[in-house]
Amino acid sequence: MVKIQDLKQIFILESMPDHLLALIGQEAQLSIFSSNTCLFKAGEAVDTFYMLIMGQVALTVALNPDVDVILENIQSGRTFGSSALISGGPAAYSAICQEPCETITLSGARMQKIFETNPELGFYMMAGVARQYKKTMDIRAKMIMKTLEQHPEMKVSIHDIEKLTPAY
Amino acid sequence: MVSLDLLKKIQFLRDLPDDILEKISPLARLETFDPDTILVRQNQEQHLVYMLTAGRICLNTRSDAGTILTLDEITPGRSFGVSALLGNASATFTAVCTEPCEAITLYGEQMQQLFASDYTAGYAVMGRVAQLFKDRMNKHTRQFLHSLSIHPAINPV
Repeated sequence: MVKIQDLKQIFILESMPDHLLALIGQEAQLSIFSSNTCLFKAGEAVDTFYMLIMGQVALTVALNPDVDVILENIQSGRTFGSSALISGGPAAYSAICQEPCETITLSGARMQKIFETNPELGFYMMAGVARQYKKTMDIRAKMIMKTLEQHPEMKVSIHDIEKLTPAY
Repeated sequence: MVSLDLLKKIQFLRDLPDDILEKISPLARLETFDPDTILVRQNQEQHLVYMLTAGRICLNTRSDAGTILTLDEITPGRSFGVSALLGNASATFTAVCTEPCEAITLYGEQMQQLFASDYTAGYAVMGRVAQLFKDRMNKHTRQFLHSLSIHPAINPV
């Protein structure tokens, strides 16, 4: 059980009505993780949705056995593991606590069941998740553009479709 | 108004139940566009969702330094401008018709009114928006990581 005041610290829940926050609060759990805890690994199924209250979590991908790329550092108020609330599917990244972290967690399977009987809650959560994805997508697109400008030779290797090929 | 049969040709809508598609149908319009028509401009607010039924559209993005890249090429059955469903969302790209195009359009504001009056429809559609964004983001990230992984500085030899 998590208090509404704590849930209001999470960006994607900011516009959610209190009666829905109360429902989430009943399902949510407060968890504390120590530094370097791996919350899930790339390729594994994600069954928990995480909302960070305190600390920092790195989302990383292994390029090869020697090199990990940090896609993003998640800080307080942000969420990750959204796949647990939609179709599931394997994680595209590993989530590793960079410092001691306090999180609010929700079981993805449990929440998906609740969404079916309470579509109002489902709608608000999905809208929040979609906005978060959009924001992340925009940040990542800028990161990619910036890197390609600094290393134009990389454009040559991006060839397997319509995606990110030089226009002119 | 657009028929359910035509709406079902759009990947984004295909799996929605008929009763939800019947609510979307009267809000949808079928429009045609000439080549080189700019449908969406980067950084401007998006009001319409476009679902392509014929033709081809390029989604281009321009960096702060002016470099232009094609992020994606939209073919029939695919959608873009879905951010319009979220309200107050600016476009990440500029969308240009590269040939004569036919597209189903939906006003974001009208769809938001539908969602507010029918949360079942709102949940179903917004779940697809989240999935679409996730897939698109993962696709671009995977491709970028692939190019990094074979870069000589990362992978000498």
